[in-house]
Amino acid sequence: MPGPASKRRIPVSQPGMADPHQLFDDTSSAQSRGYRAQQAASGLGYPATSTLPQAAFLADPVSNMAMAYGSSLAAQGKELVDKNIDRFIPVTKLKYYFAVDTVYVGKKLGLLVFPYLHQDWEVQYQQDTPVAPRFDVNAPDLYIPAMAFITYILVAGLALGTQDRFSPDLLGLQASSALAWLALEVVAILLSLYLVTVNTDLTTIDLVAFLGYKYVGMIGGVLMGLLFGKMGYYLVLGWCCVSIFVFMIRTLRLKILAQAAAEGVPVRGARNQLRMYLTMAVAAAQPLLMYWLTFHLVR
Amino acid sequence: MAFTLYSLLQAALLCVNAIAVLHEERFLKNIGWGTDQGIGGFGEEPGIKSQLMNLIRSVRTVMRVPLIIVNSVAIVLLLLFG
Repeated sequence: MPGPASKRRIPVSQPGMADPHQLFDDTSSAQSRGYRAQQAASGLGYPATSTLPQAAFLADPVSNMAMAYGSSLAAQGKELVDKNIDRFIPVTKLKYYFAVDTVYVGKKLGLLVFPYLHQDWEVQYQQDTPVAPRFDVNAPDLYIPAMAFITYILVAGLALGTQDRFSPDLLGLQASSALAWLALEVVAILLSLYLVTVNTDLTTIDLVAFLGYKYVGMIGGVLMGLLFGKMGYYLVLGWCCVSIFVFMIRTLRLKILAQAAAEGVPVRGARNQLRMYLTMAVAAAQPLLMYWLTFHLVR
Repeated sequence: MAFTLYSLLQAALLCVNAIAVLHEERFLKNIGWGTDQGIGGFGEEPGIKSQLMNLIRSVRTVMRVPLIIVNSVAIVLLLLFG
């Protein structure tokens, strides 16, 4: 039975990669030492000196106790929230998608606009967990989609403003409209993945990340439309539509199609054909939505 | 373009209602989508039709009681706020 695409393992000790399991840089060494020393000095200074007006308030033993009790309550509450937040929002999983750096963002934006020269689309794996986005340009992230979504709302407001059609509640309307389309897309794709019984490791958050990449093209199109009129809008939007189409096909092919088909060898069988149609449908929906969500902004 | 999140929720509620209303005996059996007609052996590929039938059956079983609550809330909201 064809399993998921083979995972490429990188050697554990690789020069230039500090610790792939660590998502964010460790900045706790130099600066916080100085900060902690400063804090300790100011803390020690409070009860000793009574020259400051606040010191008189803190010297009173009852309010001292009240402050200590209040701070212990706050610490307990914080502990409780930290323990239970993971049940509702998968915070640790989300952190993976935001572990990006400038080089990654630059390369990914370039890939979204010009995916034709990129050869290797597989995500690297490190002992069965995918490598963080800052170490592999193929990994999905949520930073670019989130930023692109917010920028799209702002650019929509700008476009409406230049046409004297702006009012503040229209911004909220644009935002909830785009979010509703995104939710609809995610539900439709999850439903069709369930019906076609695809054994894939494509998680919901991955899917949201991939579907959020089209906002980049939309922003480009609307900005060009503002600067150069309808011609510029159609040109840039057309280019971005084709790029997103190719990008989605090359990315989803590795996740949805079986191992053999992903390598380009045509595999017969109704199931693989269905999967191919599903990939094409998902990729084709992106340009349609890009046009639908922006054409009313450019006049 | 007044496609808000609230209208999406309303549309989803209507779709789930539509699935919950399909009657097992009078309708689904007559078009061959009954739950006892779908099990096709232990082959590895369930096929789209049996997946759909499973989905319909699970939605009807799971959403029966929550739908009562959500429908009542939606009715009250619609009456109050139009």
